[in-house]
Amino acid sequence: MFKLDRKLILSASVFTAAALFVAGCAAGGLGFSKSNSTSAQVSIDGGVFYPAVNGKTGPYVLDTKAAAMKLNQGRIPTANEIKAWDTDVMADGTGLPEGSGSASEGSDIYDSKCISCHGDFGSGGGGYPSLAKGNAYTLHASLLSQRSEEGADGPVRVFGTYWPQASTLWWYIKDAMPHQMTDSLTNDEVYALTAYILQLNEIKIDGVLVESDYVLDRKKFLKIVMPNVDGFEPNIAGPNSLPGVRAYFANPANYGGQKVKPAERCMKNCQAATVKTVRVANGGINAFVPPMAIARDLPKVESKEFNAAKSYEENCASCHATKSMGAPAIGDAKAWKAVSAKGMAAVYKNGIDGINGMPAKGGTNLSDAEFNLVVDYIVSLSK
Amino acid sequence: MNNKDSLSNEKKLDRRDFFRKTAVLSATALAGTSIFAADDAAIMKNPEWAEKWGDPMTTNLYGVPSPYEHNVTRRSTELLSSGNFRASIAVTPLHESSGIITPNGLFFSRSHGGTAHVDPNEYRLMIHGLVEKPIVLTLAELKRYPSVTRIHFIECPANGGQEWRATQFNSVQFAKGFMASAEWTGVYVKTILEDLGIKPEAQWMLAEGGDSSKMGRTVPMDKIYDDAMIVWGQNGEALRPEQGYPVRLLLPGWEGNLCVKWLRRLEFAVEPWYCKEETSKYTDLKKTGKAIQHFYANEVNSTVTSPSPEIPWTDLKDGTVVEIEGLAWSGMGTITGVDFSLDGGNTYVQAELKGLILPKSWTRFSYMHTYKKGEKLLLTSRAMDDAGFIQPTIDQETSVMGVEAVYHRNAVETWEVTEKGEVNHVQIRS
Repeated sequence: MFKLDRKLILSASVFTAAALFVAGCAAGGLGFSKSNSTSAQVSIDGGVFYPAVNGKTGPYVLDTKAAAMKLNQGRIPTANEIKAWDTDVMADGTGLPEGSGSASEGSDIYDSKCISCHGDFGSGGGGYPSLAKGNAYTLHASLLSQRSEEGADGPVRVFGTYWPQASTLWWYIKDAMPHQMTDSLTNDEVYALTAYILQLNEIKIDGVLVESDYVLDRKKFLKIVMPNVDGFEPNIAGPNSLPGVRAYFANPANYGGQKVKPAERCMKNCQAATVKTVRVANGGINAFVPPMAIARDLPKVESKEFNAAKSYEENCASCHATKSMGAPAIGDAKAWKAVSAKGMAAVYKNGIDGINGMPAKGGTNLSDAEFNLVVDYIVSLSK
Repeated sequence: MNNKDSLSNEKKLDRRDFFRKTAVLSATALAGTSIFAADDAAIMKNPEWAEKWGDPMTTNLYGVPSPYEHNVTRRSTELLSSGNFRASIAVTPLHESSGIITPNGLFFSRSHGGTAHVDPNEYRLMIHGLVEKPIVLTLAELKRYPSVTRIHFIECPANGGQEWRATQFNSVQFAKGFMASAEWTGVYVKTILEDLGIKPEAQWMLAEGGDSSKMGRTVPMDKIYDDAMIVWGQNGEALRPEQGYPVRLLLPGWEGNLCVKWLRRLEFAVEPWYCKEETSKYTDLKKTGKAIQHFYANEVNSTVTSPSPEIPWTDLKDGTVVEIEGLAWSGMGTITGVDFSLDGGNTYVQAELKGLILPKSWTRFSYMHTYKKGEKLLLTSRAMDDAGFIQPTIDQETSVMGVEAVYHRNAVETWEVTEKGEVNHVQIRS
């Protein structure tokens, strides 16, 4: 019975796709207005596909005339424009530029630009993800772990153990890291950082363990096979992968979906005798910003005066609260004496311009005067 | 003639009925007044607004809510944030929401590098790859395409994702507010492709944002040929910066992060991209050790929104007839029904659906209840859609997915009403 249902769903989904593409060819367009079918069709996501029928899709009336007109807006981009924006790196290496860098160079860059958020040796911190937890090949087995019981260790989902493609790491570092000043690293620096992160995960390339002196380049990069490359479903690779994706989501058993005929759903005695009511433990997560409130009263008038202590907590504490983030910690008299050795004007300027891992003004929108007040606040507590 | 007569007869009957009922009511109320209650100062004394001029019509030319509504806001928490709330989320106050449209200022927002402020004059959208003719569009050129307007929710697939192992939020705003709904205006991507011509081997589209996080996602062509939109309008005005002003992608019913904000580039290709936010995150690790990638649609779901832990029943008197209200939604189709339970999902009855029932949209449901002081209840809702799906129990869902999936949790939600009328978020599981 189940098998039959599934077969029907599958054939319906194939029909949908075929109908779309055939209609597209026949009309010389994309075929979104020609179908007259009213039978239920399955979308690639396993849900309902609402075809355009008699000028409507679902409850919405379509302006099919307008949609089918050629408008020829815009202009053709220049080659340089495409090059400027098309910076993605695909799994087969498309878009990956030449360059090279060693893991030890990566370690130096990491310590100056990344450690404040990602912690020592990629251990994570301040809400930012960890990049490594040890040998990725060994830890890969942890993906089978479930924290169903109190105290159990969960799956380790870091770059080495979880990500299917190394291309993602290179592309992401190049385009979106460091978080506060993206697009600031050279290709060689990205190769070096990638090598360092591979080293932290104890990854082997072509049988060779990535160690400090390992120099990563494009050719070696393309040989990386991540431990979890086969860890994902459905398959999306290859020139004809969409039918497999459609089939996967047409089968609710793959993702825990429940299908039922309305008349057959449970209305009485639906629960096993063993079920229990689980409540939020210890108040749960309730540190909301702003705190929860429902009163219909007039808001308290906040003091318009600039509050350096508050600004420090909001903008600076995540890096300056402790030494572990690489930044001079608040209260560390020695560190701040060194920082202010060349006078406060230099401290202000460095902070306003950005220095080491710190972006300009710490990534805040403070005015120069406000920023300097926050610096004064930190220094006053670090004597 | 006969019709008219019968109509007027009915009217007369109605009126007589009405007078009779009024008479009864008047008698109980001792000839129309109460001698027991004290006079209400809110009636007896005119407040200032009733006697003095109000603001001129030139005040607040872009309207703002009454200051008394200042607690109705999005909220965030550091536990779901990094970078001082730059990679973070601010969630919608569902306990204060009505209908199926969220005001733009309360629309949940999730970003990976903070809210970018894009100059619309410098905005460009580039479309290239496996198209016959690549193009660059300005905002004005984009808006010249024939517009389409649709009502859809956008939901983060991590809505409820913190609660696979146990309930953690005693709040409907945080337990279910990683979503909101709006009327969107834009153009179907397929309408633009009519102009450009798509090469038949194209299977995937990369959508990439222009903000500092360069959020990217790979979209299958099926969605492009179906209902994928590029939108610039939200509830009759421009998108808010938090929603990707001036332009975002809208994939109705699909994961919020697929609806890329500050959209700047679409590229078409044979192979998918493996973006960071579709591999390291937004993938569902199952108990088999395999993870679902490209899990597109937000599945059928529902929750009671009133009462809530935020606005409980502690002030209800015995015998009060009270409306229990909630939201049902499905990214895979249209809501066909919602079942409602007072005992945590052991016994269900059908709830009433209210208002517009649209595909891939919020749908309101309602159940009228006569409150007994001191009663203990477990309020559970269970929605169904026209794709044939019904919400699973927690046990059914975890039996397939385990407890480490993070995303796409759509098992039934339960809200406990205590003897005192307080409301708690609970889970019924074995």
